[in-house]
Amino acid sequence: MAIHEKTLIDAERLQTSDNLVLDGVDVSGHWNTMVLPRYLTDYDTDFARQIRTFSGGENVHRCWQCGSCTNSCTVYAQNTDFNPRYWIYLTNLGLKKEILKDKDIIWTCVSCNRCTNICPKDVKPEGVMKALAHWLEEEGHTPETKSSIFDNEFLGQVYATGRIEDTRVLVNFLRKTNQSLTPPWLIEIGKRMTKYFPLTFLMHMGLHLVFKPRTKSWGRTGEVLREYVHEQKEIARKARAMPKEAVHV
Amino acid sequence: MQKTVLVVGAGPAGLAAAAGVAASGAQAVLVEKAAKLGGTPILSGYAKLVPSGEWARDAMGRMIKRVEESKNVTIHKETKVTKLAGEAGKFTATLSNGTSVECASVILATGFTHFDSINKPEWGFGTFEDVVTTTQVEQMVAAGKIACPSDGRVPERVAILLCVGSRDRQIGREWCSKICCTVSTNLAMEIKELSPTTDVFIYYMDIRTFGLYEDRFYWKSQEEFKTKFVKARIAEVTRSPDGRLLVKGEDTLVKRPIVIPMDLVVHAVGMDPNEDNPEIARVFGVGLEKHGFIDRAEHYTNTCGTTRRGIYAVGAALAPETIDDSISQGTAAALRAVADLNALVQKSA
Ligand SMILES: Cc1cc2nc3c(=O)[nH]c(=O)nc-3n(C[C@H](O)[C@H](O)[C@H](O)COP(=O)(O)OP(=O)(O)OC[C@H]3O[C@@H](n4cnc5c(N)ncnc54)[C@H](O)[C@@H]3O)c2cc1C
Ligand code: SF4
Ligand code: SF4
Ligand code: SF4
Repeated sequence: MAIHEKTLIDAERLQTSDNLVLDGVDVSGHWNTMVLPRYLTDYDTDFARQIRTFSGGENVHRCWQCGSCTNSCTVYAQNTDFNPRYWIYLTNLGLKKEILKDKDIIWTCVSCNRCTNICPKDVKPEGVMKALAHWLEEEGHTPETKSSIFDNEFLGQVYATGRIEDTRVLVNFLRKTNQSLTPPWLIEIGKRMTKYFPLTFLMHMGLHLVFKPRTKSWGRTGEVLREYVHEQKEIARKARAMPKEAVHV
Repeated sequence: MQKTVLVVGAGPAGLAAAAGVAASGAQAVLVEKAAKLGGTPILSGYAKLVPSGEWARDAMGRMIKRVEESKNVTIHKETKVTKLAGEAGKFTATLSNGTSVECASVILATGFTHFDSINKPEWGFGTFEDVVTTTQVEQMVAAGKIACPSDGRVPERVAILLCVGSRDRQIGREWCSKICCTVSTNLAMEIKELSPTTDVFIYYMDIRTFGLYEDRFYWKSQEEFKTKFVKARIAEVTRSPDGRLLVKGEDTLVKRPIVIPMDLVVHAVGMDPNEDNPEIARVFGVGLEKHGFIDRAEHYTNTCGTTRRGIYAVGAALAPETIDDSISQGTAAALRAVADLNALVQKSA
C-alpha cells in the first residue's frame, strides 16, 4: 500500500489510474495513486459581491470572524459541520469550491436568528445562509428546495385567481414533492377541524377546491404580476452577472 | 543662568516642543540633521495623515511655519550635536557646524528609522520590483497614481502584509509598531479611491486599530471600501511564470496552504529605534531600553524624563508612536523644560 491512511485525505484529491507511466517507468498497480496538493490557488474576487445581490446577503463583507454566530447557532450545537462563520469567510474570499463541499447542509439553517441577534458587526448571518442557499439553487448546485416548490405553488395560484386555497396549495405541494397526500399530521388536523369548525365554513372549503373561485375583476392582474416578478428576478440576475468594471464594489 | 532649551530633531515631536518653549517666552534652539524640517512625514513623503485626513505637507507645513516665524526659535539644519558637557541647568552643547549652545535642558525628539525590508528576504523586497513598502505606496498616493513599478500597470490585486519588521522574535523585534494597522487600512481606502476596480487584501495576525481608529479606519475600510482581511502570516513571496507575484502562507481560518497571485505586494514596515540611538546615548549620556529606544524615567511625576536629569525624550524616540501623540509629548516636554528654567530663576532670586 502506497498510502496508508487514505481516510485522512479528501476523496477528491486521490487520483488513481489503471495504467500510468512516469518518465518511462511503468508504475501501474497500487503504486500509482497520487495525492493532489491541498493548496488554495486563487480567490474569486467577485463572489462576495454576487452573494450581496441576494436578499439577506447584503452585509456579508462586514464579518470579522469573531465566531459569535457559530457559537450561538442552534444547528451547530447538533452538527459542528454547520459553521456560518466559516462559510461567511469563504464567501468573502471567494473560495467557492470550499463552500460547495458543504452544499448539502447549508440549507439546514432553522432561521432562529440567534446569530443575527448576537453578531457585533451586524452581518445578519441568517440572511447570508439564505442567500447562499438561493445561490446554490440558482446555480443548480442543489435541487429546487421544498420551500421554493411551495413558494411557486403559492404564487401560481395568486397569479391565476388572485387568491389562494390553503387546501389546494397543500395538496399540490405534497404531490409535487412526491409525498403522501394523507400524512398522519394532516389527518389529525382534518379531524380537529371537523370537530371545531362551523359546518358552513367546511362546505365552502370543499366547494372552493372544486370550483376554483377568482377574485372579482382580477382580469389581467395576474399576468401583469407574473411579468413584474419575472422582470425583478431578471434584474437581480443581471446585477449578479455584471462585469466588475461596471459595479465598483 | 540659561534661558534656552535645546531641541534635537524637527519632526512632529520636536516641532511641537520648540513651539511650546517659544510660546512660553523662552528660547529654543532646534537642531535637525536633515536639510528639511518636518521629520519622517516630510522626509519620506507621506500622503494623507491618519486620523486627520490632511496632507502631510499641509499639516507639517503649518507646524514648520510656526517655528520658522518665531523669533524665539533658532534653527540649525544639516546639523548634529557632537558633544554635551555640564549638567541639568547648565549644559553646553557643541554642534557639528561649530556652534556652541548654552542651555538649561535638552529635549530629544530624534524619532525612529523605518524597518529595512531587506532583512526579511523571504518576502521578496529587493528581489521583485513589485514588492514595495507602505512608504512607497504613501508616495504613490501623494503623486496620485497607483502602479506596479515593474511595468507601470495598474494592479488588479494588492496584498498588504502587516507586521513586517514588528512582532518578530526571529529578527529581534518584539514590539508592535502601533500605527501600521491603521495606516494600512487607510492606504487600502486610498488605493481604492485611485483605482476602484483594484482588490486590496490585508494579511494579518491581529488588527490593532486602537481607540477611535476602529470604526473610522478598520470598519470603514472593510465595510465601505470592501478591503478583504485574510488571517495569515505570509511565509514567502515568489514569482509565477506569468510575471505576477505569488503570496504563500497558511490561511489559518481555512487551515489550508495558500498560493495566491497578486500584482503588488506591500510591506507594512514597522518603526525601528533610530539607527543613531547608540550615538545619541553616548553623546547625551542617556540610557536605552532593551529594544534600543531611549529609556524612560518613571512617567507619573517625571513625565517625558530620561535616565539623565535635565534631558527629556518625546515621540518615536521613546517607542513606536503616532504623530498626534508625538505632538502631545513634545508639548508636555516643553512645559517640563520651561518649568526647569523657572525653578532656576527662583533659585537664583
Ligand atoms: C509608513 C508610515 C506611515 C505613517 N503614517 C502615519 C499617520 O498617518 N499618522 C500618524 O499619526 N503616524 C503615522 N506614522 C508614524 C509617524 O511617522 C510617527 O509618529 C512620527 O514620525 C513620529 O514623530 P517624531 O517627531 O517623534 O519622529 P520623526 O518624524 O522620525 O522625526 C525625527 C526627526 O529627528 C531627526 N533626527 C534623527 N536623529 C537625529 C540626530 N541624531 N540629530 C539631529 N536630528 C536627528 C530626523 O531627521 C527627523 O527629522 C507613520 C509611520 C510609517 C512608517
Ligand atoms: S439562524 Fe441559522 S445560522 Fe443563525 S443561529 Fe439559527 S440556525 Fe444558526
Ligand atoms: S458573529 Fe458576525 S462578525 Fe462574528 S463571525 Fe459571525 S457573522 Fe462574522
Ligand atoms: S500596528 Fe498592526 S501591523 Fe503594526 S506591528 Fe502592530 S499589529 Fe502589526
